[in-house]
Amino acid sequence: MENQGIQGNVIAGAPEANTSGRSRLFSRPTATTGVVGWLTTVDHKKIGIMYGLAALFFLIVGGIEALIIRLQLAVPNNDLISAQFYNELFTMHGTTMIFLAVMPLGAAFFNYMIPLQIGARDVAFPRLNAFSLWTFLAGGIFINTGWFLNMLPAIGDAVPKIGWFGYANLTSSNYSGIGTDFWVFGLQILGIASIVAALNFIVTIINMRAPGMTMMRLPVFTWMVLVTSFLIILAFPAITIALACLMMDRMFGTGFFEPVFGGQPILWQHLFWIFGHPEVYILILPAMGIISEVLPTFSRKPLFGYAIIVFSGVIIGVLGFAVWAHHMFTTGLSTIAKTAFALATMAIAVPTGVKIFNWIGTMWGGQLRFTTPMLFALGFIWMFMIGGFSGIMHAAAPADGQQHDTYFVVAHFHYVLIGGSLFALFTGLYYWIPKISGKMFTETLGKWVFWIMFAGFNVTFFPHHFLGLGGMPRRTYQYDADMGLNTWNFVSTVGSLVLGIGILLFLYHLFITLKRGAKAGNDPWDARTLEWSLPSPPPEYNFAAVPKVTSRDEFWARKMIPEKKKLIAEEKAESSIHMPSPSWFPLIASIGLLIGAYGMAFLKSDYGNFLGFGTLFWPITGLLITIGAIFAWAFEGPGGYHLHPEEDAQEKESSGKAK
Amino acid sequence: MFPISFSTVRKSIRLTALLALTLFFVGCGQFDGPMEWFSGGHQSTFEVRGPVAQQQLDLFYVTLWVTLFIFVTVGGVLAYTTFRFRQKPGDSEKPPPAQTHGHPLVEIGLIVAAVFLLVIIAVPTVRAIYDIYELPEDEDMLVIDVIAYQWWWAFEYPDEEVVTANEIAIPVGRKVKFNLRTVDVIHSFWIPRLGGKIDMIPNRDNWMWLQADVPGQYWGQCAEFCGESHANMKFRVFAMEEDDFQDWLDHQRSDAVEPDPEDSLVVTGSELFRSRGCIGCHAVQGTGAMGIAGPDLTHFGSRKTLGAGMADNTPENLFHWLRDPDGFKPGNLMALDPQVRNLSDDDIEALSAYLQSLK
Repeated sequence: MENQGIQGNVIAGAPEANTSGRSRLFSRPTATTGVVGWLTTVDHKKIGIMYGLAALFFLIVGGIEALIIRLQLAVPNNDLISAQFYNELFTMHGTTMIFLAVMPLGAAFFNYMIPLQIGARDVAFPRLNAFSLWTFLAGGIFINTGWFLNMLPAIGDAVPKIGWFGYANLTSSNYSGIGTDFWVFGLQILGIASIVAALNFIVTIINMRAPGMTMMRLPVFTWMVLVTSFLIILAFPAITIALACLMMDRMFGTGFFEPVFGGQPILWQHLFWIFGHPEVYILILPAMGIISEVLPTFSRKPLFGYAIIVFSGVIIGVLGFAVWAHHMFTTGLSTIAKTAFALATMAIAVPTGVKIFNWIGTMWGGQLRFTTPMLFALGFIWMFMIGGFSGIMHAAAPADGQQHDTYFVVAHFHYVLIGGSLFALFTGLYYWIPKISGKMFTETLGKWVFWIMFAGFNVTFFPHHFLGLGGMPRRTYQYDADMGLNTWNFVSTVGSLVLGIGILLFLYHLFITLKRGAKAGNDPWDARTLEWSLPSPPPEYNFAAVPKVTSRDEFWARKMIPEKKKLIAEEKAESSIHMPSPSWFPLIASIGLLIGAYGMAFLKSDYGNFLGFGTLFWPITGLLITIGAIFAWAFEGPGGYHLHPEEDAQEKESSGKAK
Repeated sequence: MFPISFSTVRKSIRLTALLALTLFFVGCGQFDGPMEWFSGGHQSTFEVRGPVAQQQLDLFYVTLWVTLFIFVTVGGVLAYTTFRFRQKPGDSEKPPPAQTHGHPLVEIGLIVAAVFLLVIIAVPTVRAIYDIYELPEDEDMLVIDVIAYQWWWAFEYPDEEVVTANEIAIPVGRKVKFNLRTVDVIHSFWIPRLGGKIDMIPNRDNWMWLQADVPGQYWGQCAEFCGESHANMKFRVFAMEEDDFQDWLDHQRSDAVEPDPEDSLVVTGSELFRSRGCIGCHAVQGTGAMGIAGPDLTHFGSRKTLGAGMADNTPENLFHWLRDPDGFKPGNLMALDPQVRNLSDDDIEALSAYLQSLK
């Protein structure tokens, strides 16, 4: 796959003469293929593909964790796994799925699609983009290190077992070991990756739009990514601060959350959920964006109420910062606070409902084609509705007093995160795989994947509603046989295996599609937005001629309106396009962070000093590597090379004839 | 031009209405039935036995009916749209459908409808918040201090000078105020059939009030993840008539039963209890055992459960508990004590006999 879209450009990719006279050290690498090509790439499409593959890998990891959890809960008082392992599993399952699977799978589409949708040749800061990818991978590797460290005889607590929410003061050094440090620094690293990426996308979307691509002509997916990026840069600082306080508590005895020092464990909850609730919208808004792209395409109609859909996305983002304490209805908030947060939470149902109404409005009067991505999109609407309704039930604070921390909540957020986010991401995968790979998948298998996942998901998670209202608390590794919980737990476990089979089948489908899918062509879906005007996969420079945009759904307009076609003919491919050179330094800067994080995790551990761990040697080394790499990054010079689209076209033509 | 004739539409509307009405009446009439079937059990939030849980359940039903209504309506339109506007053979050759961009009146109308439906939920929500989370004025109110430990519960009746663990009694028909404290991490106090949970957070003076209307045994459980044996942190509440409750209090206030000198096993057990360090953590009123790190055992023999609601209080379970504390309840402090690990089977039998005698 790695050669597609790049073949033919390699010749043109020779570096420009290094005119600045800088030393060899700082000359930028030139390979655009092979392992080095991928490690040093600054191409948003390659970065997007790597985000996607890494996210799918972590989706499998988190999925295996989930399946072990479900097997343990299949029957009452099961002894399959220990309490401690169970606690590690649900902690890592949540952390993995949120930070390492769903967010980066979204980021894969941000990376790959945003420049294509807005008519740009890359993101605003290509090297920063690579840095986001490598830092995300560093965080993913780091936070999962504990699984391997636990195999060492001396270490047994290297996997965090504090829940993905890490409530103080269970995270205090009195109650938890080095696993918590891995969690703290892992999340900090992932936060850096997210914030850097978000800034990059904000600048890209604001500044890199093709001429005529006004804000109100942006594809809705791009709009939602813009909103999401703002949520990220506003929400992540809250958890960054909370984690920094926790780190100081654990390492330097500060006592922000330590009751004996007068610290307030409740403070952690406020900080965490000021991040944590917008995080929910960080996961769902891009998903809604994808749905808003796919439904119009397969209805052959424009999005119904574009402005109001965009506006309600913004409203959801803003209100998302005003509802965090609905995660804390049982912490003894005052009646005034409970009332305010209950009403604010209910208010979010309005813009969310608006989106659903408008999606139905989009389909109304259309010609619906039930392709695989369309099935996933419809599945999304149904299940997101159910998840939304249980959300309204939680908003009724006194009723939530019963539901909070039970399986009812587990049902709710799996309906919005799997039925919502993940199904939307699968919608996106099936929708855009032909564009990304140039290969078309087989519809029959795609529909099997959908129906198996849909059935498995509902059989797994609908019974969780009953379990929760039947009084089963979350995060319990066993339940007694006489509690009336046996049947639904068993049903749920069976469902989870079906869902697992569905996802395996998807991976197989992806694999055979990439291996021997039919040629997809530029526009297999008769779609509406600019990415479909490009070859599949798009060339390295994306647009040979920067499009002049005159309407929403520009590509559709170009296909449908005769006058438009004339305009396109006037858009001439540029004879020479300047491309940024690859660079080693984003990768090196991320590796520095990884090394520093390992050093910090062991700084105050019980395992003494070994190989320089347990001292400041590795934290400082890591920091110096990162700082050094950033300096080198600044001084490595602009580099760059030129590509020639017209020659490419001729070359392709001739090679096509030769075949 | 319609794909289905008007009479079919009318018929299906009538059928749907009939079905919905049937469901509604079945639901109103016997809703306790099906919901108990779905979500019954000792901790069912449907089988409520007190005013707090009842109001929470009523509110839940309001949210359920409103969202069910929206689900049927919106879902119905969605299903109809999906069916009605599916692409038919030959459609792809036809020109694309009208490229309509929206309809302001429809959009605003739907927003107003959504707000209206939310108000139906919001009003009882706010009323319930003030009913449940403000302390009612009641001079008869019983006060119980609950102190959570990893992973068990200490209960104190400050006005009655009663201290116990993992099991409590409350009088029916009387409001009870629980002061919720923790000595270590965050826990959450929850008796589903009497009311929702409130967390016990270090350096925070939380409380809740509940009332049981029906005598009986109610299951409770910690609802906030609190470490390794979070799943094993349970308790029982026995609601009883006022007279029985006063008897219970009298019994709890009394000192522990003296070991019967005739019963050598119990006597041996009582000596082991002192000599093997049990008294370091456990209190038995009247014997000089005044430990506070573990549950008060003064009337252990009269309790229904052991290990914080984990298992029935039978000699077999007690033997298992003392033989292998960590296997029984992973992570608990007793497992760390070498004196407990070094107990012989005979020792355990004697200890068990002694503890069972503490009626």
